[in-house]
Amino acid sequence: MARFESLFRETTSGLRRNGLVAFAAISTTFVALLLFGLALLVSRQVSLMIEATTGNVEVAVYLTDPVNPDTVDTLTGKLTDLPVVANVEYETKEEACARFKRLFANQEALVNNVDCDALPASLRVKLDDPENYAQVAAVLEGQPGVARIVDQSRFLDRLFAITGVFRVGVLMVSIVMLVSAAVLIANTVRMGLFARRKEIGIMKLVGATNWRIRFPFLVEGLVESLIGAAAAILFLFGMKVYFINPLYGQIEFVPWVTNGDVLVIIPWLVAAGAIVAVLASLVGMRRFLDV
Amino acid sequence: MITLQHVTKTFKNGTTALEDVSVEIEKGEFVFIVGASGSGKSTFIRLLLKEEETTRGDIYVAGKHLAKLTTWKVPHLRRNIGTVFQDFKLLQDKNVFENVAFALEVIGKPKHVIDQRVPEILEYVGLSDKLNNFPDELSGGEQQRVSIARACVNRPLVLLADEPTGNLDPSTSVDIMRLLDKVNRIGTTVVMATHDQAIVDAMRRRVIELDRGKVVRDQARGVYS
Repeated sequence: MARFESLFRETTSGLRRNGLVAFAAISTTFVALLLFGLALLVSRQVSLMIEATTGNVEVAVYLTDPVNPDTVDTLTGKLTDLPVVANVEYETKEEACARFKRLFANQEALVNNVDCDALPASLRVKLDDPENYAQVAAVLEGQPGVARIVDQSRFLDRLFAITGVFRVGVLMVSIVMLVSAAVLIANTVRMGLFARRKEIGIMKLVGATNWRIRFPFLVEGLVESLIGAAAAILFLFGMKVYFINPLYGQIEFVPWVTNGDVLVIIPWLVAAGAIVAVLASLVGMRRFLDV
Repeated sequence: MITLQHVTKTFKNGTTALEDVSVEIEKGEFVFIVGASGSGKSTFIRLLLKEEETTRGDIYVAGKHLAKLTTWKVPHLRRNIGTVFQDFKLLQDKNVFENVAFALEVIGKPKHVIDQRVPEILEYVGLSDKLNNFPDELSGGEQQRVSIARACVNRPLVLLADEPTGNLDPSTSVDIMRLLDKVNRIGTTVVMATHDQAIVDAMRRRVIELDRGKVVRDQARGVYS
């Protein structure tokens, strides 16, 4: 297809002409998307750890073995009667085992070594306001069948506070970097337009459409940011393999992000890169949009 | 083919380039627009290409009312109009073939059309043996031939030439005029802005003279002054 060939020939020659600025745009996009991906992965890691340790509930009421169905009903009834309780769920030993296996799917040794019988059944209680833990504890303390009541909200709060600061910080830095990347991409596009102003003048004279004139520049910006995105993705995989893989099974009962988690963030990185590039290219071309 | 009705063009800085100009150019005509520098010749050409808008009055080119033509339809108007300039406007990093092919590529013509039409038109303008030469290897006259080939390769209804012989010596100018005459004889309407007296006098074609933006003479088989 000759017309596509001619379209992309302009793009590649544009990239070669502004080599240095294109390199700056690509590397800034790379760092920006790397940080963005890192923030996403850290969020994922934190939520994995939270699920592993708390199952996402504020109060866990562990029951004595073996569990008497009547006890479960009585305790559930007492809890739901409390106005501060939002939701109560019963997790059987089998369910606890399944959750454990799912969380640690990439640490076979751990799964094989843990006897599912050791995991207790529990009532998992969600509160309207975690501050009301004491009321729940008062009602259940000393009841038959209750082994242990654990207030997980304080732990959750602290974890969220620490990781929240980290996540927001990384996200902010990555946004600043993305803006710089956009400015650099807009700049390469503008330099390209300037270098080719004679060509563009002729294109307008012979009746090339605006779309036809802008397309190569749009693609140029897009290619720059996608190269940056590809590098960021490779780097994230590399980091995951070198830093996370050796940790599998090293610390007991801590799940780690998997390759699948890294795969899931790829579309986000590519989309962020593409959006930034298209916006930046359009801004760079703004002055040239008229016929 | 080209109709101007009471066209006035005033620029933002207040200068009036054209004032109440009414002209009718038929299909297949050859018309000289003459006048001193600043008389409005170039503005006349730019208005026909819709590079500028009229301040008052209406222009019709190839059946299209330019004031009512939306921005995205302007490229299609220009595909019907070939343009030739004093400075040739050739791309230095492309050879003769590529310069002419460029005009077809950017309006999306497929390769087989380009491969057929470009050698055809280059033979027509007498440059069959220079296909692979670059503009800086050609004389001024040859460069202008390339630019005429580029203007005509898409078979336009109208050819607009703004001082096409302005940079050429008299004998080369005559060659270029022969070529424009040849283009005219196959039915292309040619409008040429010039202040080359010898050429206008030799050709004996219709002459429209502008003076400070006004038509002061419109003569069927005219001379320069």
